[in-house]
Amino acid sequence: MRLRKVAFYAVAILFAVWTILPIVLIALAALTPRQELYSWPRQFVPSTISLESFQFFVNSHGVLASTGRSVIVAVATVLIALLVGAPAGYALARFRFRGKEAFRIGILLTRMFPTSLLAIPLAVLYLKTNIYDTILGLAFMHAALAMPFVVLITSSLFLKVPYDLEEAAMTLGCSRIGAFARVSLPIALPSLVAAGIYTFVLSWNEVFASAVLTVHNRTLPAHIISTLNVSPLNFKFAGGFFMIIPALIFIFIVRRYLLSMWGVAINK
Amino acid sequence: MTVLRKASSLYLLVFLVVCLAGSAFAQEITFSSTQFVPIEEQEFARNHLLAPFTEQTGIKVNLICEDDGPFFDRLTAEARAGKAVSDVFGTLHGNVPILVAEGVAADLGDITAIPGRTYISEFVNLGQMDGKQVYVPWMQATYVMMANKKALDYLPEGADLNALTYEELLEWAKVLYEETGGPKLGLPAGPSGLFGRMLHGYLYPSFTGYQVSAFNSPEAVAMWEYLKELNKYVHPSTGIWASMSDPLLFEEVWLAWDHTARLTAAVREKPEEFIAFPAPAGPKGRAFITVLTGIGVTKGSENFDAAMELIKYLTSPDVQVKVLEGTGFFPTTLEAVDHIPDGPEKILADAVSRQAASPDAIVSLLPVGLGGRTGEFVPLYVDTYQAIVVMNRPIQETLDAQWALLKDLFESMGAEYPNP
Amino acid sequence: MPLLRKIPLPVLLLSPTLVFLTLFFLIPLIQVSGLAFQSQDSVFTLANFERMVRDIYFDSALRNTVVLLILIIPVQLVLAFGAALIVNQRFRGSTFFLYIYAIPLGISDLAAGLIWLSIFTERGYLNSLMHNLGVLERPLIFLSSLTPKWMIAAIVLTEVWRATPLVMVILLSGLQMIAKDYIEAADTFGCSWWQKVRYVILPLLKPSIQSALIMRTMLAFQMFGPILVLAGRQLPVFASESYYWYTTVRNPRVAAAYALMLMALSLVATWIYLVVLRTREEQVGVM
Repeated sequence: MRLRKVAFYAVAILFAVWTILPIVLIALAALTPRQELYSWPRQFVPSTISLESFQFFVNSHGVLASTGRSVIVAVATVLIALLVGAPAGYALARFRFRGKEAFRIGILLTRMFPTSLLAIPLAVLYLKTNIYDTILGLAFMHAALAMPFVVLITSSLFLKVPYDLEEAAMTLGCSRIGAFARVSLPIALPSLVAAGIYTFVLSWNEVFASAVLTVHNRTLPAHIISTLNVSPLNFKFAGGFFMIIPALIFIFIVRRYLLSMWGVAINK
Repeated sequence: MTVLRKASSLYLLVFLVVCLAGSAFAQEITFSSTQFVPIEEQEFARNHLLAPFTEQTGIKVNLICEDDGPFFDRLTAEARAGKAVSDVFGTLHGNVPILVAEGVAADLGDITAIPGRTYISEFVNLGQMDGKQVYVPWMQATYVMMANKKALDYLPEGADLNALTYEELLEWAKVLYEETGGPKLGLPAGPSGLFGRMLHGYLYPSFTGYQVSAFNSPEAVAMWEYLKELNKYVHPSTGIWASMSDPLLFEEVWLAWDHTARLTAAVREKPEEFIAFPAPAGPKGRAFITVLTGIGVTKGSENFDAAMELIKYLTSPDVQVKVLEGTGFFPTTLEAVDHIPDGPEKILADAVSRQAASPDAIVSLLPVGLGGRTGEFVPLYVDTYQAIVVMNRPIQETLDAQWALLKDLFESMGAEYPNP
Repeated sequence: MPLLRKIPLPVLLLSPTLVFLTLFFLIPLIQVSGLAFQSQDSVFTLANFERMVRDIYFDSALRNTVVLLILIIPVQLVLAFGAALIVNQRFRGSTFFLYIYAIPLGISDLAAGLIWLSIFTERGYLNSLMHNLGVLERPLIFLSSLTPKWMIAAIVLTEVWRATPLVMVILLSGLQMIAKDYIEAADTFGCSWWQKVRYVILPLLKPSIQSALIMRTMLAFQMFGPILVLAGRQLPVFASESYYWYTTVRNPRVAAAYALMLMALSLVATWIYLVVLRTREEQVGVM
């Protein structure tokens, strides 16, 4: 039994190392003095910690403002996508109706076409409806990008919430909505969180829509990250690392909710 | 329900921000540019060019630097919706016909009347499309060669760095390969690299005397045979490189060809290690391209006068000298064009003036008249390279097939072949 | 709201999504995909498809699109399932491991491409490591036109690293919902760990596996950021070709033709997943 435990931890740690190592490398590279970046063999650990590139990046015009904007857009996107998408996921899981399969594939179909090609008609639509260059307009677009997957994830999860539980709640005097809110929702929370995380990072990293649909209200990727690949190496690392930090914080905050109170451990 | 309260206060916050963003600014213009994209150049432009402009005139400038894709998409959409949110556009000459085809560019009138500067007249002419002046010549650049000084020890005997031939370049690359144990020549042939310009504007006129008209001639076949030979000594990572600064700084290569602005990072980082020199010459001469960027006003902009103010400011001789010192882009006015910068940029500026002054110079002019299909021109050359050199397809057959596409492009647009 | 009551509940629940997707995707999508069948002068033509099929990159783009998918998706599924099982053990520190495993989720494909590029370049981390260990005399060139297999390997590693957590998170949230009774029943019958996984967990996880596969496959078909960074156009796929024709060549008609090809491939893959991994509800029906 002990041997199995050791093996289990070994696998768990190995996978963690594989995941974390590239992040550590980019963090170290972001803190390496620029003269050392071009040395061979490349230094894994810099001789001194240099904040020069990082500071230049952070102090660049509009970086902090667009970072704040990115966070607002991402949070708004999560709210919109879940409010609009989760009910559809619930409906797909709970009801039988004609055209359901067509509906399901139809939802997915919209995302099978490369979205960057839709830029011009979308921008024209935004300009004509006066939601061009607004934070809410951008959040709508990001929510639309995430929605097929939000519907998909939530429907596969609501499918497994036993309907008897909801029925029981209803016989005990709950309304349909009350039964859903008190019974199904808590059970399905991990799936909503999973969909939420996906939506947040999608919005956080999204470039095409933000670049085309905003002028003043640019998010961080549209403002500067998309130009990093033509910037010198030290800024690539500094910007790349800076971009990771807020996502790390967000995932840290919501990670607990991924593990629901209701689930079970699979015994070893 | 704290969650509900949090959510609703967040909604409030979002709406507040939206309202704030929507409220009118003082006089502000939006400037969309595909130039000044690297982060240091953006900072330079905002702090050292636009901030003084706002101080002088009270006009705020919202600078948006972006790749070609979003740049075209946004300007096109604004033109189609009839709402010019961007006021000023700044981009490569080669991109402007596409903008004109979409109805993005306004007529600027007679720009030679602007006081205090004399724009180089060829550039003014290039900026005239459909009988309108659609841009003001903004900045120019070119492509040169750059070498790590270590490579000079291997320079073939009798070769003059400032009058190098393509044969000598091949010999040099070969010696470097053999003596150092690996390929040391690099080209920016990645997806956002500018290698295609080397093919149509440097190699083709140098070998065949023409950029387009001798595309599948015997001279062209000889050129492709040369390129296949050269490719043996070209670094195999060449296909992913966008800019040669990093490979030069890493010493992955010792010898490279690229756009001057894409080499400045290398000379700034280690000015003592690099030397720049003119592009090589072929049997017909030493061909090179001048890269021209233009700056214009969008059709329907409500801030036409303020936009012209900015354009006049950015193309004044003083500011152009500042741009040269700050970013390595060269002036387009007679008053500023001979200015030689101090500092590391001098290394590049010297090579540029030697290239322009070389006795066997052939100046390749950019093709005109391809309109909305201008973007298809360069990829045809790059595809040919891919087919012949990388995929090893038969030369003549490939050239004939690609020539059919090239000819069709010019004929269907009613454009004349560029001269040379 | 008497009018609202007349509308069946499913319609009410589905309509917001429907409106959203129609407005933001369906209408522009129809407009743009129409371009694939139009000449420059808006006359019906198949010339764009002809140009696409004859293009020197088309054959390898088709091959690479399929090959990369076949290499990436199964590896991701297995790794993600393993990681989800590990975290779901609820041992001490399992939330810590969950957090670590989920980190790449937050990284854009551009940043991921940059990270792995700095590992694989000639003077990058991998060569430096081997040099420091004394394995290598001079650096190897991994990302080279002469070594397409290395380039594919680099892309697969990058994608597996970046996108496995997404699959893990979906499977994990699915795992949580498997009712305790099933596992306990399996335990009373003395099932081994493997038997539990094979006969209890996997079948019950099918809906989640199905959605994860559909989602990942669609996103993998569209992925091209890391490819452009690590291999340039030497390893074309449909997504990168469509993007190239759209942004560099500025020919939206051929770009739309490529996009439709991509869509067809995605549709076939999704259909296969839906048929092969048919879920119980669809066979029996609830309600």
